[in-house]
Amino acid sequence: MNGGGGREDDQHLPGVSSASGSAAGAVGGRATPEMKRSAVRSLIKRYFHQLQSGCGNANCSNANCASSGKVAPMTPNELAARALQLLSQDAQLCEAETSSPQDVDMLSPNDSSSSSSGSSTSTITSASTTTTTSRQSQSTPAAVVVPVSSPYLAQSVPQLDIAGAEHSSGDSEPCTPTLAPVHSLDANSLIALYEECRAADSYDRICHAIGVVFSSVDRLGKSFIRSAEPAASSSLQELLANSSGALNKEQLRTLEGEHDKDEDSTQQVDEQSESAANATASAEVEEEDDDVYSSQSSDTLVDLPGLRRVQRLLFGCQIRAITEKLTSSVIQLSDWVIYMRTDWERVIHCLVICFDLATNTKNSVVDMDYLDRVLPKLCHAASAMPVPAQARLARIWAAHCSDQLHSLIAACQQQITLQVLLDEESMRENESIISVTKVLKIVFYANILASELERPSCRVPLEDRTEAATASGSAVVEDDLFAYNSLLEPHMPKFAEDQFEKELQVSSIDCRKPLIPLEEFYNEALSENIQMHHDYLSYKTLAMESEIGSGHANYFSFMLYAFILTPSTKVDALYYDSRMRMYSERYSSLHSILNNMGQVGQEDTPRPDLKLTVRRDQLINDALIGLEMVAMSNPKDLKKQLVVEFVGEQGIDEGGVSKEFFQLIVEEIFNPAFGMFIHQEETNNMWFNATPFENGAQFTLIGIIIGLAIYNNVTLAVNFPMVVYRKLIGYRGTFADLSDWSPALYKNLKSMLDYQGQDMEEVFEQTFKISYSDVFGDVVEHELVPNGQDVLVGQHNKELFVNLYSDFLLNTNIEQQFNAFRKGFEMVTDESPLKLLFRPEEIEMLVCGSREFDFVELENSTVYEGGYTEKSQYIQDFWSIVHAMPSEDKHKLLEFTTGSARVPVGGLKCLRLLITRHGPDSDRLPTSHTCFNVLLLPEYSSREKLEERLMKAINYSKGFGML
Amino acid sequence: MTAPRRLRKELGDLQGNALKAFRDIKADDDNLLRWTGLIVPDNPPYNKGAFRIEINFPAEYPFKPPKINFKTRIYHPNIDEKGQVCLPIISTENWKPATRTDQVVQALVDLINEPEPEHPLRAELAEEFLKDRKKFVKNAEDYTKKHSEKRPAD
Repeated sequence: MNGGGGREDDQHLPGVSSASGSAAGAVGGRATPEMKRSAVRSLIKRYFHQLQSGCGNANCSNANCASSGKVAPMTPNELAARALQLLSQDAQLCEAETSSPQDVDMLSPNDSSSSSSGSSTSTITSASTTTTTSRQSQSTPAAVVVPVSSPYLAQSVPQLDIAGAEHSSGDSEPCTPTLAPVHSLDANSLIALYEECRAADSYDRICHAIGVVFSSVDRLGKSFIRSAEPAASSSLQELLANSSGALNKEQLRTLEGEHDKDEDSTQQVDEQSESAANATASAEVEEEDDDVYSSQSSDTLVDLPGLRRVQRLLFGCQIRAITEKLTSSVIQLSDWVIYMRTDWERVIHCLVICFDLATNTKNSVVDMDYLDRVLPKLCHAASAMPVPAQARLARIWAAHCSDQLHSLIAACQQQITLQVLLDEESMRENESIISVTKVLKIVFYANILASELERPSCRVPLEDRTEAATASGSAVVEDDLFAYNSLLEPHMPKFAEDQFEKELQVSSIDCRKPLIPLEEFYNEALSENIQMHHDYLSYKTLAMESEIGSGHANYFSFMLYAFILTPSTKVDALYYDSRMRMYSERYSSLHSILNNMGQVGQEDTPRPDLKLTVRRDQLINDALIGLEMVAMSNPKDLKKQLVVEFVGEQGIDEGGVSKEFFQLIVEEIFNPAFGMFIHQEETNNMWFNATPFENGAQFTLIGIIIGLAIYNNVTLAVNFPMVVYRKLIGYRGTFADLSDWSPALYKNLKSMLDYQGQDMEEVFEQTFKISYSDVFGDVVEHELVPNGQDVLVGQHNKELFVNLYSDFLLNTNIEQQFNAFRKGFEMVTDESPLKLLFRPEEIEMLVCGSREFDFVELENSTVYEGGYTEKSQYIQDFWSIVHAMPSEDKHKLLEFTTGSARVPVGGLKCLRLLITRHGPDSDRLPTSHTCFNVLLLPEYSSREKLEERLMKAINYSKGFGML
Repeated sequence: MTAPRRLRKELGDLQGNALKAFRDIKADDDNLLRWTGLIVPDNPPYNKGAFRIEINFPAEYPFKPPKINFKTRIYHPNIDEKGQVCLPIISTENWKPATRTDQVVQALVDLINEPEPEHPLRAELAEEFLKDRKKFVKNAEDYTKKHSEKRPAD
């Protein structure tokens, strides 16, 4: 106790002396440091006593009073520590009925005879020592400042100071910032203090004030409180009424023997805000006790406009000492947060302040220095908070700091990039990258919350989907060749469930137009260096740990923070996942082959791969029957590597044959003449035929095909509207989805929604019966509600109309077809982390490839063999011919060399085209190996001939390995 | 065969209004989404005849605009040889679901009477219209006499 007290004196000497120095004459030394300390001591004793013996009131409801029965049994050591904590929180003190504080001597607890006064003293000392040492052991830059060694005591002292200060100001000169107590700061007092310091040309006082306030959660938590607006003040009053903070203050005075009532107005304001902070703090303490967090609220007491004035001032003044002090104090504060892990509401208040100071910068050197040093610490502190507190921070940011999100992202990204570059080797374990990533996740959700959200969420509740599926399932049961009881819920391992989404009840999917494009959350440097197979292993370990129920997840996988990964990196993750699954399938079948060796007559030995034998002219039927057999006998086989064989054709499937298979089957299935899909002229998209001639099985087949294509890393030439991908990962199509399904329909429905006149019924004369044309061009009518033809659309039900209309077109009308389709898709992807990693736009890119054709990128990534180099005149001619081609021919060239006219995810550079010399000049056409993206190019005698042969080859060849 | 309530109402209104410039309005017996009618322009050179048009309403009407086709051939910069007409009021960009067919018909009649050579479908006619009005009028009159339908008696 003495040790702590001594240091704390050093720490606060200037503050104390400034207060008591000028107060000395007036108050006659009533508030000497000595007295204050004794006052604190007796307060602690009261808390201690209350915890230990209670107040004696049988009906006591104070959770920190033994009489209430809510205090868990504690050792004297724990009691002492808790008493200190309570003091720091200004916790409620019961009116002592039985004994005055003096009666209880904490130093000789009356019930535990074993503890002597000596040991009890050491109890407290050791408590504070522990604090100090463990903080140092956290390898904090403890050298910066001697930590506020015992935060509890340190916090209490300035509170007492205020009494002295109040007096002096009341008695003598008007209250000046000099005398302002340093237990909290607000924008005005800090700015005034700065002005004074500037006038005196000595910044010691402001540095001191900053140091004291910004290094303590408790003090900063009471600082920069929004001043009372009319609305806010009433709630403040309300809080005040219930608060015990004011009472405590009164008690403190009583203890000090001060009954003066003269107060000046400054003090009143000060006091009010302080008590408000106390009130919120104590309210939160109570909530914490009930284990309820007010994360639903987006309110913050932080005076952001004032804070920004301060920010401009502090960073604009170019006074190194101030920013230096600020930096070191905030670092100290962050360390304290990480260690203490408590009182989150106050921590949030502090973090809002500190982050706002950090991001509101103007790129000056001073600012950047603050940012660079402080940000990692702040992120560390923020990431140490429990999810509900993080969610609360996200809400505050979304509601009050949305203009700062952009710079916050930029700052985080810069930090991550920097760390990645410094530490490429062990970046996956790098604590600061991890904590900044975690903060980026808070920002990610703040960004979503700050954007326009679709409400109610378009996520389909599980039970609805099950119902729908069983309803439609029973309707098509005779037709359903795929007797596969798919998991209806997309597989999502429990541990990977996003606690944030749960807590905030939002999903990135509900946000159509994020305030900040989600692409800005990609970190290229991290994605490039991550070495996805290692991260995938962490992911798997997490999965295993959660399966065996071990709660201690020491592993960190960026796959759970997928927003930061670029799509091509996420494709890697998916690739490892699917390879792993394929290998495990293959391994188990090889295993059974080996087991059955030598046993004659083993007919049904499983194959190590998924083999399909198809005839070109019976492609759909053969594929359908083949896959159907697999799905019926062993759906798991769908996860084996696909190997396709065309009947009567040579060719080992190293990928090229299956690529062609996919392409042909997609061409056929999406042919409008086939009747499964209709072509929507307006958008050039394909959509489900609501009145198909085919049974559900064909739709399941195309679902499997799309799943297999993702699984086997093949892109397909399919043109679905985005809503298909959203529906695939478990969302409902809504009105907003019409915008790319049918822009004209969307626009006109929107224009109806925007119509404000009360004569809507007459103007539109629209009923709840709508019509559409089917695949034959016949008009089909549908009533959106029973007797819809008699219900007119008016102002009161226009939204309902639009929602029902969209729901009908996008969901109900094609429900059977879509469910069959999704079933097929999930048969292949149900266990993959697809839905964890990808957003619908990204899945579209996975399936179709990117729509950008950058042939310069292709040229730059092409490698050469057989004597060609990138510098050969011949190759340069080749590329100038290619670049001059119309885009249609470029597509053909792409299809000719890679088997697909789509661009793979990550762009053409990911193709790694290989051009190899195929002999000297001859009349042979160029050829290709589509599975390896190899172009075999004879060295023709002239540029003209090269061009002529190349054009001929790409225009007249189709099929694998054909000339 | 039923049709949206609004279309039936609009058809009735148009038939009841007895516009001078748009007459003989009927819906197909087997498809109420297809109407025909006779445009009877007032201005030369088209006042020598009448022009049969077809209005096709999409199933999603009024949330998608109707389309208009000339069944009678016409020498006009804004109507092409297939009878397609470029009418801003029913373009995808400008269409409003509150727009009524009588407004559309009125806009069409105005366009016939006053060609808009700045937005032509037949550039050569637009050029002739701008550079040699006399020749254009003559050609159009001849064409009208040759191809158009007879104007109603009244």
